[in-house]
Amino acid sequence: MNSFHFDWGGVLTGSPAAWLVAGLVNTILITVTGTFVASLLAIVLLLGRTSSAHYARYLAQAIVMGFRNTPLLVQLFFWYFAVYPALPEWFRDWVIADHWFSPLPFGFRCISPEFVCACLGLSWFTGAFLAEELRAGLKAVPLAQSEAALTQGFSHWKTFRYILLPQAMRNAWQPIVGQYLNLMKLSSLASSIGFAEIIYSTREIESFNAHAIEAYAVGTLLYLILGLLMGQLFVSFGPGQIKRNNVVARVALSGFLHRLRFLS
Amino acid sequence: MIFDLSVITDNWSYLLFGRTVDGEIGGLLLTLLMSLSAGMLALIFGILAAVISWRFQGWTRRVLYSGAEFIRSIPLILVIFWLYFLLPRFLGRNISGVTTVILSIAWFSAASVMHATLSGIEALSFGQVEAGLASGMSYWQVLRHILLPQAVPNLIPSYIGLFVALIKDTSLALVVNVPELTTVANQVNSRTQIYPAEIFLFIGVIYFVICTVLSELPRLLVKRTHQHLKFANSI
Repeated sequence: MNSFHFDWGGVLTGSPAAWLVAGLVNTILITVTGTFVASLLAIVLLLGRTSSAHYARYLAQAIVMGFRNTPLLVQLFFWYFAVYPALPEWFRDWVIADHWFSPLPFGFRCISPEFVCACLGLSWFTGAFLAEELRAGLKAVPLAQSEAALTQGFSHWKTFRYILLPQAMRNAWQPIVGQYLNLMKLSSLASSIGFAEIIYSTREIESFNAHAIEAYAVGTLLYLILGLLMGQLFVSFGPGQIKRNNVVARVALSGFLHRLRFLS
Repeated sequence: MIFDLSVITDNWSYLLFGRTVDGEIGGLLLTLLMSLSAGMLALIFGILAAVISWRFQGWTRRVLYSGAEFIRSIPLILVIFWLYFLLPRFLGRNISGVTTVILSIAWFSAASVMHATLSGIEALSFGQVEAGLASGMSYWQVLRHILLPQAVPNLIPSYIGLFVALIKDTSLALVVNVPELTTVANQVNSRTQIYPAEIFLFIGVIYFVICTVLSELPRLLVKRTHQHLKFANSI
């Protein structure tokens, strides 16, 4: 067994350090964007899957199955090599043009063809999984809830938006957070289409000064910290379990206000 | 976009078998072989870890749990890189990329198998363990004859789900240049340049068929068991 000789200076100073910082920024950027787009896509797919129109249901189901049952890496290659060149030219020109928001520190850019493809790949893949989690959460909402909402004069959309979706999200919050964390971890695959996130930076350091072990150690640590922070963030800002006292207090308060209005 | 399937008909044997005739297994065949061996390893070690952490609660369990947590909270790509660099150093000899990837994926999936199995065992009522122990069985016998026979059939759907995820994970072998399906497709794409849609759709369909058939299996099995039960009840 060879003995290890660690040289952290080769990773934490100079351009390797700059690459790592840029990688971290890019990972955070793709995670935030991907989370947002994936959530939107998941809601659209969920609406499709629960729609009363046959074709919408089948289409949404086919999309969900297609994205769930193929590897993300293949999807990323498909977006990058097949879809992106077929996009309209003005869009591709816009992506590679200089914008006020595009420069990042250390000469990196925040929007690039790789970023767009990584975002598309991660969002569709995670969106399909999220739609399934939400559907499972929706199944647990009693039918009486939507019946009650409809009899109260809620439209279908408002019933979905204000009654069903919040409860579905609360029911499925744990697996949803799992999917968001997965998106963050899977963003590492975007390095294979040349997106400069953490893994890409570590490989760059490896070929720059052969400090592979140190670079991977730093990368691992960054992913662990990111995962912990994200988990904490989602759990503390997510919908918790309903606090019974809270609901009782709110109902009591609204009843009290109601009576006041009648008295005055 | 021109859709020209000639790139598939020209390269299908390379995509499916790689250079298998030259002695280097590759393509879809390698994907399947890697999935099966990693799946077997993950199943064996996952159940073993679950059994150990069920029997020895306390430090043993905590160590196993944190190992599983650690491996699940970093990207699989990093696990592959770590083993790729560390295994040869620790073993003092070269390890093939295929072995590295199989071991990484097996380790990664074993953590999920352990979690699933443990929750399957603990979902059974503890009274069964007490009854077994009171009848003079050892812990091992309770596990072997009472708990596992009940837990494992319930766990088969989640094992299959994990296996489907594992098959998709084998595509990551690309990062250490193991010639499985995704890697050879990428090679064909770099060589031909102008048919990316055809190539990646084709291998996407291959993965899709395998994963869909597998993930629909539990539903079919459950349906058949229900039919058997209905039949048994009607007698």
